[in-house]
Amino acid sequence: MRQVVLGIGDLGASNTPGEVVKTYALGSCVAVMMLYPKTRAVGMVHVALPESSINPAKGQSCPGYFADLGVPLLLREMVRLGCPGNGRGIIVKLAGGASVMGHNDTFNIGKRNILAVKRSLWSLGMGAIAEDVGANYSRTVTMSVDSGLITISCPGRGQWEI
Amino acid sequence: MTPKVDSQAVRQAIEVLPLLSPSVTQLLQTLARDGYEIDDVVQIIKYDAALTARVLRTVNSPVFGLLNPVTSLERAISYLGERVIISIVLADQCGDMFTRPLPGYDAQQSALWRHDLFCAFASREMAGHARLACEPGLAFTAGLLHDIGKFVFSPFWAAASGEALERIEQGQVTDYLQAEQLLAGLDHAEVGFAMARHWQFPEALQAAIRYHHAPGLAPEQFRMLSYAVHLGDMLAMMAGADTGSDGMQYQLDGDYAQYFDVSSQDLAVIMLDAEEHFKKAEASLAVE
Ligand SMILES: [Fe+2]
Ligand SMILES: [Fe+2]
Repeated sequence: MRQVVLGIGDLGASNTPGEVVKTYALGSCVAVMMLYPKTRAVGMVHVALPESSINPAKGQSCPGYFADLGVPLLLREMVRLGCPGNGRGIIVKLAGGASVMGHNDTFNIGKRNILAVKRSLWSLGMGAIAEDVGANYSRTVTMSVDSGLITISCPGRGQWEI
Repeated sequence: MTPKVDSQAVRQAIEVLPLLSPSVTQLLQTLARDGYEIDDVVQIIKYDAALTARVLRTVNSPVFGLLNPVTSLERAISYLGERVIISIVLADQCGDMFTRPLPGYDAQQSALWRHDLFCAFASREMAGHARLACEPGLAFTAGLLHDIGKFVFSPFWAAASGEALERIEQGQVTDYLQAEQLLAGLDHAEVGFAMARHWQFPEALQAAIRYHHAPGLAPEQFRMLSYAVHLGDMLAMMAGADTGSDGMQYQLDGDYAQYFDVSSQDLAVIMLDAEEHFKKAEASLAVE
């Protein structure tokens, strides 16, 4: 089983049988995942911040870092693998966007990430059908080309599927 | 409730810790002093051949993309800056402390090093937003050392840590630090403080290690520094550079706003900058 491991701001898509796309310890980052069951294509982007306007140069060099650029880019990757450009038939799921404890708005980057991802999906006419977001723990997510299953795990908490 | 951890045994483990090498101790003392010179740092490193070699290897690593190889120690030190130098020295002399897996926290090899290194850069960025003077270099070093307590505490904590998340979920304690207190009778910040005293760290570093989860309790002259590290620690966990099962399970002290002026925009920039520096440093230091 070959693993495509994504770091912060990375984006990856695959339709190679046996392959999994994985990202570790999302923290306040959000993994946006797209699956196209018809052709078994899967894709993921590891978004760290909502808006690329805070650093356009970084947006150029690493668009996946930001929700506003990463989400449309992920759709383009899926299209490259044969998915329809209007996104129809693509299943979207989200994970991550956690926060530390103490209910502080400024430090709730996770919440702002989730909102920005949803806004960006919305503008593409897409929406998530499942999500495992928020709370106070960091998720590791794996997406399998063969099964289309998304597995989430966290140290001390075991693993589960969405 | 009888604690599941023998706190006496933890204290003994600290007492028998081998002393740090003179270059580490001297460097920490020097960097904590106001107005030290680059030459003070060169004087410490140059007598240690292995350390000198490592500094030169780092500056010439492809990460920095220098056209001409740097061969003078002084040039290397001034190019890399105190942040990278202290990281190299700690990685070289205390590598084991930072890279060993932490069974009590379910943390993999090198998780503590990555967490501490990220926290160091984030603390330094935070220091730039302090309302009163907060020395960025010192914030960096304090960030790098803030969780050393986990190294000693982890094997003991393993006997009790299975219950920690449950206790938090049930609302018996408010965060992971309190869970450590409840189940073990002491916590990793306290253990780190005892280690810092054992190794005679400068007072500012001792305080930042001790109060990084309760910065409001730090003595006034070290409070800014303790808050900088507290916030840097939060950012490291938010960026996914955590130490396992305790990741994000700590209370953010909202009173930081009295000491730091940061908007959510600022925070996004801090996060991005810290992550960029972190990635570069991690690659150039390559701690195995
Ligand atoms: Fe800590
Ligand atoms: Fe920490």
